[in-house]
Amino acid sequence: MKAIAGVFFQTLLLLLLAPLLSGCIRNWKAKLQNRRGPRVWQPYLDLAKFMRKDMVISEHASWVFHAMPYVLFLSTLLAGLMMPLITAAAPLRLFGDALAFIGLLALGRFFLALGGLDPASAFGGMGSSREMTLAAIAEPALLLAIFTVAITSGSTDFSQMLGAAQTPAWRLLNPAHLLAFSALFIVLLAETGRIPVDNPATHLELTMIHEAMLLEYSGRYLALIEWSASIKQLVLMALLVNIFFPVGIAVGLEPAALGWSMACFLGKLLLLAGAVVLVETTNAKMRLFRVPDLLSAAFVLAALALLSTFLFH
Amino acid sequence: MNPPASIEIGSQAITLMAALMLVVQLLLIAQRMLLTSIRLFAIQSLFLAAIAAVVAYYHNAWHVYFIALLTLVGKVIFLPWLLNRLVYRIQIDQEIEPLLNAPASMLVCGGLTLLGYVVARPFTSLERLGNNTLAVALTLLLTGFFLMINRRKALTQVLALLTVENGVMLAAVALTTYGMPLVVELGIFFDVMVAVMVLGILVYRIRENFASMDTSKLNQLKG
Amino acid sequence: MPLLSPLLIAPLLAGLLCLLTPSRRIMEAAGVLAFAATLALGIGLLYRVLADGVVTEWGGFLCADALSAWMVLLISIVSLATSLYAGRYLRVELAVGALTPGRVREFFVLTPVFGAGMLFVVLANNLGVMWAAVEATALSSVLLVALYNRRNSLEAAWKYVVLGSLGLALALLGTVFIYAAACKNHEHALPSFNWSQLVVVADQFDPNLLKLAFVFAFVGYGTKAGLAPMHTWLPDAHSEAPSPTSAMLSGVSLKIALYALLRFHILTTACLHSGFSRHFFLAFGLFSMFLAAPFILVQRNLKRMLAYSSLEHVGLICTGIALNTPLTIFGALLHMGYHALAKPVLFFAAGNIHQTFHTLEFRAIGPGVGQVLPVTMVCMGAAAVAATGLPPFGMFVSEMTVIAGGMAARQTTVSVLVLVALLACFCGILQQLTRILPGVRSPGARPPAPHAGGGVSAMGLLLGGLLVFSVWLPAPLLALLHQAAGVIEGKS
Repeated sequence: MKAIAGVFFQTLLLLLLAPLLSGCIRNWKAKLQNRRGPRVWQPYLDLAKFMRKDMVISEHASWVFHAMPYVLFLSTLLAGLMMPLITAAAPLRLFGDALAFIGLLALGRFFLALGGLDPASAFGGMGSSREMTLAAIAEPALLLAIFTVAITSGSTDFSQMLGAAQTPAWRLLNPAHLLAFSALFIVLLAETGRIPVDNPATHLELTMIHEAMLLEYSGRYLALIEWSASIKQLVLMALLVNIFFPVGIAVGLEPAALGWSMACFLGKLLLLAGAVVLVETTNAKMRLFRVPDLLSAAFVLAALALLSTFLFH
Repeated sequence: MNPPASIEIGSQAITLMAALMLVVQLLLIAQRMLLTSIRLFAIQSLFLAAIAAVVAYYHNAWHVYFIALLTLVGKVIFLPWLLNRLVYRIQIDQEIEPLLNAPASMLVCGGLTLLGYVVARPFTSLERLGNNTLAVALTLLLTGFFLMINRRKALTQVLALLTVENGVMLAAVALTTYGMPLVVELGIFFDVMVAVMVLGILVYRIRENFASMDTSKLNQLKG
Repeated sequence: MPLLSPLLIAPLLAGLLCLLTPSRRIMEAAGVLAFAATLALGIGLLYRVLADGVVTEWGGFLCADALSAWMVLLISIVSLATSLYAGRYLRVELAVGALTPGRVREFFVLTPVFGAGMLFVVLANNLGVMWAAVEATALSSVLLVALYNRRNSLEAAWKYVVLGSLGLALALLGTVFIYAAACKNHEHALPSFNWSQLVVVADQFDPNLLKLAFVFAFVGYGTKAGLAPMHTWLPDAHSEAPSPTSAMLSGVSLKIALYALLRFHILTTACLHSGFSRHFFLAFGLFSMFLAAPFILVQRNLKRMLAYSSLEHVGLICTGIALNTPLTIFGALLHMGYHALAKPVLFFAAGNIHQTFHTLEFRAIGPGVGQVLPVTMVCMGAAAVAATGLPPFGMFVSEMTVIAGGMAARQTTVSVLVLVALLACFCGILQQLTRILPGVRSPGARPPAPHAGGGVSAMGLLLGGLLVFSVWLPAPLLALLHQAAGVIEGKS
């Protein structure tokens, strides 16, 4: 009973918080650039608008085109349910750990790429190939960084990692964690399609990576895909803040603890969002063939982090 | 006097700053703009000065404070100012294509880091404060050599040399209780300053004569 | 009466004077006087060391034992000869416009500083201060190498400074490791970094750390000594520098780096009591000798050939140290001395040839140098005969000592290898020089510049010393050499 309630509430949290986070980031970016920017709750209105609209589908589309938004949405949601957000024990923690988490995100991305290729449009294919190129380098970095934390805490289960973080043996200034955090931050920028990897606000097709795959989508499919992208962003940010700074995470289920945990979680998320906004505003988008340089830097940082766990004891 | 429990925090702080020095070194490897490279070197030296200051705090050794101050004034303020001035006089501010591109260089440096750790393994028991700072020092040495081979602009080679010196100073801090005797540190400090000035003069003359800082053009003398 | 401080102060004062005075004559005289003073002080130091064993000053900061005293003599005489030669050489260069007055002043300021740096290296007791002094000599000589504003000079100077600084960074790491090895037993006090005190307690050092320290120091100081394969800067720097500077570089600065290596070698052997460091000396020494031989045989540039010959001699000295019998060590030290006397003469003669014929390529010089520069030909011929190890000159004695000592110690392979390498270099040098020195000028050859050769005083001083000391080593000098050999072997 408690488990089902947990699943229900975490799903609700994911669905409702994700667009708010996207809206915050967009608004703050505009404020830093001296504009007023869209309202913070604009993404909700956008999602509602997309849901109401008709869909225009290419005649070359196959079942993949129709299946992709659902697969993406569900896989991202499932991955989010395996991530501890407010409680130390994620609702679906018995169904999967860090490896399943990464696998589900990869599944979603795979179908996203297929969905870009399916309608046989040139820009879609271009976006898919770019996305897979970056994924090929970003995912090993993500894996190595998560393994670093897994090795120090002794398990790939996120809840276990959080539990280990509460013990006094955890060293806040552990260089392995610092290196893993920096590697994960760069991977976060790549996975969520932020400057300097990809410009989420561009309307020039030749500069798109993520948006190019979505050009053929409209209506409720587009709503689901945008929502999934926001949820993925939320989940990855939660990974960063909860695993490395598990301050105030609720161990039990008392309402007071949950309330305090929610407040801390929101605070940390907003701080991280602020950091992302700063990085986005102060950097320019990198040329596509330079992005592997950045991602290989993340890879080497993650590899060093892994090395450090063995050698900095 | 400091309670012994806080030595743990000091040790952690030193380890953290040594790791940060390593990260800055990796950023240097991948960096193309000369002015940014100089700034990165300044940051690395700042970490080195901070490590020396922490060591001085825990051992209550006033002469190590002096060494930290020297490092701060010399390597964080004076040398970057000198190198910046040189870059402005020469008016070349970008590196040209290195021998190995950035991802490959980063992977090579990852391998060199591993090598540094392996070589320093037998000596970890000799370290005073902080774990594995000797490994970081050896890594700085190896990656500094690699940077010198990989790049062609004379100024980047000067920076690589300076990072090698940083690595040696870190090794001194890691292995010895109070650092080296003051007279030795002073001697090394002044030598590094004069070395950079001499190198600067040479770089300027090379620029005048060859109209470029590309050291691959210095290839006439053979056999 | 303090001996060691004036040894350092005299050249520094000369350098300062050259910085301030506008007159070129005073600059020329200052260097000569300063180094004549150091030579006199060096002879005084010799007697003092023979009497007392070790001379210290400033509370042990400066310390001179027999090995240091021997090096002081070598540095003084080579620097004196260089200062004597440099006056006329630079006057000619100024006259033809190859150098500006500013550069000439740079030379006269930096050369005494270079000499003072080298003296500081051999007199410093503290290993870290010794490192700083070696770096100081490297830095002062770099600007000397780059004195001409030619492309090749800048290239040579750049290679020299980059490789030298890298090597010295490694040597510094070795120094740090030795200090750490000494720190092992002193938890709460600073151990002394003075060599004289380290060598007494060397047994207590951590052997692994000491081995690591020696390896780094060997590669580092070995780069400065020009041991192969770290020698690539040597032919460039020694050939592109002005001839007086080449003489000092080849004559003594390589020996200074070898001196630093020897100090580390003595420490390592005192701690490990094994042949660990000797293996390095043997391997790198033989490799240097065999690397130099083919390059001498195919060489086209006179000064580069002389530089490779220096490489070979340094290799021989290292091999002599490595064989580790009293005879070979004595031979190695003697060889240091004779080489320091002969090589500068060759470089001075090359300088004369360069100024007269404006080229250093053998083909371009052509035969018949003796017709234009008879005195130079005689001096160069004599010095070449000396440098290749022919009797009656002293190098024959020292080389034979090393080889015979090797045979006596049952290291026949090593001795045979040394002999083969020496023969190859002998053939190479004499073949090249006989092509240019004797004979008649070919009619189509370029007419030589009107400034005929000079610098007789410098060359004469060195050759005279070489001749005299080849046949008669005065008793104090012999005693000093024996004492220095004893220091290297580890007897106090």
